[in-house]
Amino acid sequence: MHFPEGFRRKISQNLLWDFLRKGKKITKNKSKKSSSPRTRKGKLVSAGYLFPSILGVLLFFVLPFLIVIFYSVVDNPISRQFVFLDNFVSVFQNNAFKQAARNTMTFSVVAVPLAVVLSLMLAMMLESKIPFRSQFRTFFLSPMMVPIASVVLIWQVLFHYNGMMNEVLTLFQRDKVDWLNSSFAQVVIVVLFLWKNLGYNMILFMSALSSIPKDILEVAVLESATPFQIFWHIKLRYMSSTILFVTIMSLINSFKVFREIYLLKGDYPYDTMYMLQHFMNNTFSRLDYQKMSAAAIMMAIVMVIIIGILFLTENYFGKDVEG
Amino acid sequence: MRKQTSGKSEKKIRIKKDLGELSQERWDKEVKKKKKIRNARHLVRVCIATTVAACFAVLFLMPIVLTITNSFMSASEISSNYGQVFATTDTGGKVYIAEKVNLKFIPDMVSFSQYITVLFKSPEYLFKFWNSVILVVPIVAFQLLVAAGASYGFTRYRGRIKEIIFFVYIILMLMPYQVTLVPNYLVSEWLHLLDTNWAIWLPGIFSPFAVYLLTKYMRRIPVSMMEAAQIDGAGEWQIFRHICMPLCKGAMCSIAILLFIDYWNMVEQPLILLSDQEKHPLSVFLSKINAGEIGLAFAVATIYMVPPILVFLYGEDYLVEGITYQGGIKG
Amino acid sequence: MKKNKKLIAIALTAFLAVLWGCGKGSDSGTETGGYVYVPEYVEMDVECNYISAVTAAQDCVYLNTVSWDEETGESSNSLYKYDLTENKGESLSLELDENSNINGMAAGADGSLLMMVNSYSYEEDENGEPTNYSSKQELWVVSAEDGSIQEKKDLSQVFSDPDNAYVQNFCTDGQGNIYLSDGDSGIHVVDQNGNKVCDIDIEGWINSMAASKEGDVYISTYGEKGLEMRKVDLGTKKLGEPMEGFGGGYGNSEFMTGATKSFLFDNRSQVSTFDLSTGEEEVLFKWIDADINSDSVSQKGELSDGRVWAVTREYSENGPSSCELILLSKKKASEVPQKEKISYGAMWVDSNVKRAIIDFNKTNEKYRITVKEYGENVEDYQAAYTQFNADLTTANCPDIISLSNVDFHMYVSKGVLEDLYPYMEKSGVKKEDYLENIFKAYEEDGKLYGIFPNFYVSTTLAKASKVGDKSGWTLKEMLEFAQDKDPQSLFSYGSRSSIFYYCIYNNIDEFIDWESGKCSFDGEDFIKTLEFAAGFPEEYDYQQEEEGISSRIRSDKILLMDTSVSSVQEYQMLKGMFGEEVAFLGYPNSERKGNLIQPAAGCMGLASKSKNKEGAWEFMQILLSAEYQDSLVESRGGYGFPIRKASLEKQFEKDMTPDYYEDENGNKVEQAKTTWGWDDFQMEIMAATQEEVDAVRKLIESAEKISGSVDQQLVSIITEESEPFFKGQKTAADVAGIIQNRIQIYVNENS
Repeated sequence: MHFPEGFRRKISQNLLWDFLRKGKKITKNKSKKSSSPRTRKGKLVSAGYLFPSILGVLLFFVLPFLIVIFYSVVDNPISRQFVFLDNFVSVFQNNAFKQAARNTMTFSVVAVPLAVVLSLMLAMMLESKIPFRSQFRTFFLSPMMVPIASVVLIWQVLFHYNGMMNEVLTLFQRDKVDWLNSSFAQVVIVVLFLWKNLGYNMILFMSALSSIPKDILEVAVLESATPFQIFWHIKLRYMSSTILFVTIMSLINSFKVFREIYLLKGDYPYDTMYMLQHFMNNTFSRLDYQKMSAAAIMMAIVMVIIIGILFLTENYFGKDVEG
Repeated sequence: MRKQTSGKSEKKIRIKKDLGELSQERWDKEVKKKKKIRNARHLVRVCIATTVAACFAVLFLMPIVLTITNSFMSASEISSNYGQVFATTDTGGKVYIAEKVNLKFIPDMVSFSQYITVLFKSPEYLFKFWNSVILVVPIVAFQLLVAAGASYGFTRYRGRIKEIIFFVYIILMLMPYQVTLVPNYLVSEWLHLLDTNWAIWLPGIFSPFAVYLLTKYMRRIPVSMMEAAQIDGAGEWQIFRHICMPLCKGAMCSIAILLFIDYWNMVEQPLILLSDQEKHPLSVFLSKINAGEIGLAFAVATIYMVPPILVFLYGEDYLVEGITYQGGIKG
Repeated sequence: MKKNKKLIAIALTAFLAVLWGCGKGSDSGTETGGYVYVPEYVEMDVECNYISAVTAAQDCVYLNTVSWDEETGESSNSLYKYDLTENKGESLSLELDENSNINGMAAGADGSLLMMVNSYSYEEDENGEPTNYSSKQELWVVSAEDGSIQEKKDLSQVFSDPDNAYVQNFCTDGQGNIYLSDGDSGIHVVDQNGNKVCDIDIEGWINSMAASKEGDVYISTYGEKGLEMRKVDLGTKKLGEPMEGFGGGYGNSEFMTGATKSFLFDNRSQVSTFDLSTGEEEVLFKWIDADINSDSVSQKGELSDGRVWAVTREYSENGPSSCELILLSKKKASEVPQKEKISYGAMWVDSNVKRAIIDFNKTNEKYRITVKEYGENVEDYQAAYTQFNADLTTANCPDIISLSNVDFHMYVSKGVLEDLYPYMEKSGVKKEDYLENIFKAYEEDGKLYGIFPNFYVSTTLAKASKVGDKSGWTLKEMLEFAQDKDPQSLFSYGSRSSIFYYCIYNNIDEFIDWESGKCSFDGEDFIKTLEFAAGFPEEYDYQQEEEGISSRIRSDKILLMDTSVSSVQEYQMLKGMFGEEVAFLGYPNSERKGNLIQPAAGCMGLASKSKNKEGAWEFMQILLSAEYQDSLVESRGGYGFPIRKASLEKQFEKDMTPDYYEDENGNKVEQAKTTWGWDDFQMEIMAATQEEVDAVRKLIESAEKISGSVDQQLVSIITEESEPFFKGQKTAADVAGIIQNRIQIYVNENS
């Protein structure tokens, strides 16, 4: 299975270029059409459909974010003296923030790719026409429904110093590990995160797999492509946009794992579990809104960069095969 | 969109050329032959896959099963198993201490005492349960409604401004709630919503999450379809109502499930925005189980799982179907 | 599969539908909707030292008061009737001999008054000790018109032990049956003619018993979920199921027969009506909003026109206690003169502050203080505290902020509080008139951020002969002192958590260096403290000791006493307990300054965001005024020292002035001022000597820090992580390492 080299590169380069100038291009196309009064009206009406949402988002998301920006440049929420970037400097130098940023980054860097790869593997497994497919699918989705309290309780019992995991270790004559109060804590939360999220990711992949055109797969089979080749060159390429979608969803969910950590260990957990949200939560309850806001804005900037990169990557890989 | 479709058919033609001038009959035969060879290998793979899947399934199912079976244990049995895990200190913090913790699946004796307490003796759990329903259902319903309109807006006549707004939506969606919670508190206070359900409802209803998901889906609907309708004289409402909505039905259902599960488990928003603890949903209570209530917690958790399971059972097929067309950040 | 799923789904839906049925009717609004209750004080020309029973019938309130004559030492009983519709009061003559008490009054079905009277008799033997004690319980039917006794029925036979029976609750139902309860053993029911109907056994303490407007008798008891109200069912001779929608909570609440709805319900903070047929509770008013101190309300009830009456009794040391009859009527908020509002925000409102606020509201023409109590009736303290903090940044910020139970330093660093010195200067309150170290404790950079009217000092006491002339010690010294001693012999009520409070939390700065952002919980001192604490029981068993504290102290079975000194008289008592001179060691502290100031009444600051600082200050300065400070001076020693120097001296002077009485020969003989006691120890307090006052003065001067300012977060981390060490699962060093790790984040975050 091979596309001529030039063909692919040309397409992807064009698309990348396309993306960078896309807005302009599309508007140009439209501006040609806009001579028709009917289209103009349609545009207006379609904007009307957007209106309620934009209003609400402005009020409940953008306005709060502006408040966050305001707080990030004043000394504290009560006296509100303008200090410009001092908060950013002090937060950036804060050891707790550094620790939190490092932990959050490590967690996302480890957990998100794992969530993508493992769920893809699960999806492939269920793809191979095994018996009880739909039951398995339901089972894998079940963690979504378990209330957080039960999850935390059960995790507590599993990873407690005297819990199940350590009992298993003792069976193999290993020393006990203090899971929640050592560097193993990160492992515990990664496992917890995977357990919660694999199911949904898997569903996303399953539907993407099923929408790969059959004829292409058949051609590959005819061409005596190995299963690995089929997977790598066809399936993965066709699913590239799904992979990115799953990545984004996993990223969102990776921020949500804070709730479980919080319920496991409270405001100040062992330092390997200390996340950015802990930092924000704690500075909030101590009325240090300026620190919280500065941290939030730095986080937002990193986020914009990450999403931007994901956008570009998707355009680079995804477009040439998308159906 | 149109350009891409043409690209695909071009490819297919090209592939066929590569294979030489094969007749359709020949083509099918070849495919069958190759498939046969692989069938034997396939069987082995299926066996392995099934075993692995079964192992995973056990791991994944354990908590849900545990929660349900343990809810049928009597208070004394629970405390003998976990009592030492959850001991409450006088300062209110949780202390987890145990000589040995047992995860026990099957109760020694099936007892309904926990349920009797939850359902009949102490009505506050039920009040909290209904608080949850009252908070979550409107959010899910109206967020979908708002999102349907918004994603239609984002889908039709895409322009640079809309693209930028959509990007902003994605960024806002990715913000952890800790960031927006405090300013949200201030805004609710400013709008005099604090301590009313509106403080939870409104930010929920206008959350960009559903807009993002639905827009992704709606943009997969071929533009040609809408344009054709337009040429036939359909107005925006007709296009929205008779083309977009029926096509998005599955997607809407799948998003509804996600939203429901997400908000059903919310803890922080009510804690901050509703100071009247009588309005708190059950999830807030569940997040704070302590020693005395751990027995009840399993029963409450089981009851609490009923609506998500229900939503799930009714909508699981949509969940799978609804995302079939999904993929890609930009769509 | 599909079919199965459908079946499950249908089953679950059905289950939810059932739940819906169970969970309905949860509304209990607290809206008072634009109405306020306005109090009206009724003159009563009756002398009362004690009110033994109050009841209302046909809109008349009947009070049975007892007053005694200081000179003759004799008490007299009287029955006072006040007609609330005609606003007329009169004393009724009631023949009641000296050995009879009215334990309860109720309105009879025929308009007469029913009283439960306990009469006792005894003979004196040759030594003057009472003997042959006997008591009888009688039901009197008394005319509501003139107080004449119409009938007496002996009900002693109803009680199993009539000599020791005491009727706690007493009421009648619609049929004229009489319900008696002596608190905990059960309810006895007799009919109109005094014949026993039945006994109903009840588990637990009966909190309140009353007939509903409809004529059925209900009682309230404390159950699993707090207060439960149950119907007394004469048919089955049992109690009914708990009423839904009623009560809850563990407060000392009470319900009374209602006039408009079934019951009137008072939970000591607010008054509401409760309708049995709908199960709905409707809040009428909060006591504090009506300028009434709920602590002094002894009885209350509802009139048929919806007004509420209350009898308050204010105990006062100097002079007779007063009682007032208050009528509360509902008025539209707009009809009541509007005053400028000042808000007082607190986690909990101290009762002294509450009293001061009520007095202020009653007398001040311009301002009115409203109270917001964040910690009131909440399950989740932490959430309430977060709410409190969040409000400080918004327009909801209270004008006056209570600084009890909050992080004072954080508020100061955020600029939440206003410097009070300029206000003091403006209103002519001189800083020099007050104890320097007290103001210093709430001072930062020469600015004063909090005030409180009085205080006491927490410290550690030891026999001076054991510790020499030490006046403070470091943790190391303290641990050395304890090293070769049995932990049980150190403190009287030592438990692990109290030891942590003792060694660590009052001394937290020794472990956290805020300057460098380092903490040293993995150091030797902390590990040693952990090991030290391990010698104490997890919870102190108060039952275990057969010997009293004082005798254990004297025989050196206890060496230290962790306590507080709130008056010279308390110091006199402590000295008496030890049987010799005592030394104040204070809490372990790196600078050996461990005597801690403890505000006795609420401590408060002025919000810098307040829009009405003048008004808020007007209230706050009252607490500093000479008048208020002098009112804290009490002959019985008082609880806490006033912070104004002159008032403190007045207190000392009073403590040193002996009381005399004249004996039969006309000689002045010094008599005890009062009696103080603790556990097995009791002591008559004579006038204090100059040395004793000086010792207390020195103690007050040595106190520099405010106690109890440790963040709860640290407490929970230490408590949580030290537990495995106490249970023998981890070593002290391991545990200390984890604590160090977690607290280090806390320190980093805040540095």
